[in-house]
Amino acid sequence: MVYISAGNLRRLLDILQDDYGVYIPVKKGEQRFYRRYDGALDDFVIGEVRAFEPLKAFFTRAREKVAEGFGQDVPHAQDKPLAVVGVKACDLKGFKVQDHVFADHDFQDPLYIKNRRENLIISADCTCVLDTCFCCALGVTPFPTENYDINLSAVRGGYLVDAASEKGRALIAKHKSLFQEAKREQEGDRDRQRARVKAQVEENIKREGVPVQDRFGGIIERNLESKMWEEEAKACVECGACTIICPTCHCFLLYDQKDEERMARLRVWDSCMFKGYARVAGGANPRPKLWMRLRNRFDKKFNFFPKVADFYACTGCGRCISACPAKIDIRKVLKRLVNNV
Amino acid sequence: MSEANPYRPIKTEVLDVITETPTIKTLRLQPGEPIFFQTGQFIELTVPGVGEAPFTPSSRPSRKDVLEVTIMRVGKVTEKIHQLKKGDTVGLRGPFGNGYPLEEFKGREVLVVGGGCGFAPLRSLMYSLFEISGELKKLSFRGGCKNPEEFLYRGEIAEWSKRKDLDIELTVDKGDKNWKGKVGLVTVIIDSVDMDYKTGIGIVCGPPIMMKFATRKLMEMGFRDKNIYLSMEKNMSCGIGKCGHCRIGNYYACKDGPVFSYDKIKDFHEIWD
Repeated sequence: MVYISAGNLRRLLDILQDDYGVYIPVKKGEQRFYRRYDGALDDFVIGEVRAFEPLKAFFTRAREKVAEGFGQDVPHAQDKPLAVVGVKACDLKGFKVQDHVFADHDFQDPLYIKNRRENLIISADCTCVLDTCFCCALGVTPFPTENYDINLSAVRGGYLVDAASEKGRALIAKHKSLFQEAKREQEGDRDRQRARVKAQVEENIKREGVPVQDRFGGIIERNLESKMWEEEAKACVECGACTIICPTCHCFLLYDQKDEERMARLRVWDSCMFKGYARVAGGANPRPKLWMRLRNRFDKKFNFFPKVADFYACTGCGRCISACPAKIDIRKVLKRLVNNV
Repeated sequence: MSEANPYRPIKTEVLDVITETPTIKTLRLQPGEPIFFQTGQFIELTVPGVGEAPFTPSSRPSRKDVLEVTIMRVGKVTEKIHQLKKGDTVGLRGPFGNGYPLEEFKGREVLVVGGGCGFAPLRSLMYSLFEISGELKKLSFRGGCKNPEEFLYRGEIAEWSKRKDLDIELTVDKGDKNWKGKVGLVTVIIDSVDMDYKTGIGIVCGPPIMMKFATRKLMEMGFRDKNIYLSMEKNMSCGIGKCGHCRIGNYYACKDGPVFSYDKIKDFHEIWD
């Protein structure tokens, strides 16, 4: 375990710019948004809670070119790989789903694989919670335990640094003058802070009565015919925010456009909440009604993924709760699903 | 070295366009790189600058250089496809998914039930079955269509009727003065087939409503769920199980199908919609 002072972390970020496009959360109002670090940026936040945007945006872009004409090559837009700083544990759980879909599955996606291989993840412990945080219900802790290169835990004056990959270890070794050995009391500080934030998430869960994932078995099958889907979907405006902002949602649409003289194939994030999502040519639609699409969204997260990949496709980040203009609350839906016996 | 790009179409020349019915055309295509498909698998056909759509080839897979797809004009991409002419350039991706398990059909009695535009993939299947008909115990075909004008491959099917290795019967919902076959839905002519339903293979391809009722009929007759094969039409886009659109329960039609045995999917909701 090593320690880096706040000043040296800044130096590290400056150095990282040579090899990476560095992105770091900046606070604006009550939210945190990723901004490109350019050396002059100084209102960034490493700790606190998750950013507004999901981490997946750095791995499959909201809109990107996947093929050009009939050419063999895979188009890779960025000149430099990305270093994403201040990533939280809930977003790292999103990798379980994204990796399953794009990397570990029968076919591999070359764009995702490249980003996953080359991008650098500098994660951080949460130091506070939002009212909508419920990660512990999904078996996630508010401090990263896997899927990062290096993790930062805020302690007095700087951060304790932990590496979880070869890339992370090599980074520390390469810049070892920026790091010091961690002191035992710093580790004690970190552990106390972790316990404190975890207790706050658990307090959230208790207050909202959110069921924990051990109770999710069979909740969708049991409720397929339930009236609750219609009730929950009543206020939905089909904006798709819940899926776009979700760190686990991966669906995309391929579409072709004439890119000057060359044909280009683009992929854009899609949403299963949109009416045309599953519609086939000729007009047949397996899910013409909004409540069917809401049910399908939960079916994918809490029935499909545990069956094909042994995890629930939810990280407890709470983004879909705050993004929904209709105030559809995933915690409340889960509570109803679990309690309908 | 270039990495394989699953989203890149192969440059393909349109060799010929055959008008089958007022709304259906068959394209003869020559891909710039060979595409080896198994009957029942599908490809994605790109009209440059317009988009792509999934089709199951209607030609025999043993013909390697040329591939045919039979396409009904129903949407944005198929509208453009119907405007294509000999010599035009299109793109192909694939093949994707699982085709019909021909090896499992050997030694068995096989009944193929087709409806409307479902004849397209079944034409490819029938030619593949003719090639192994000596190894099948029996081969039967029951086909239905709205009216005689909408029957696909009329000339070829007339030839099929002369085959000794095929028991074939056709029906239309509504006949005309020249129609000599049966009149009525395809489900009413299925049980004229003389075979052991308990051990036989039933293959169904057609519009969803026809598939639903034909499957129900086969089950009533005694066909086992695992012996009924369905070609599922879903909104396949990426072809490799990533974009999400074609999910059926725990499967994606694009990579786990489009051909499924009924026992694999019967417990999922929404399969016929």
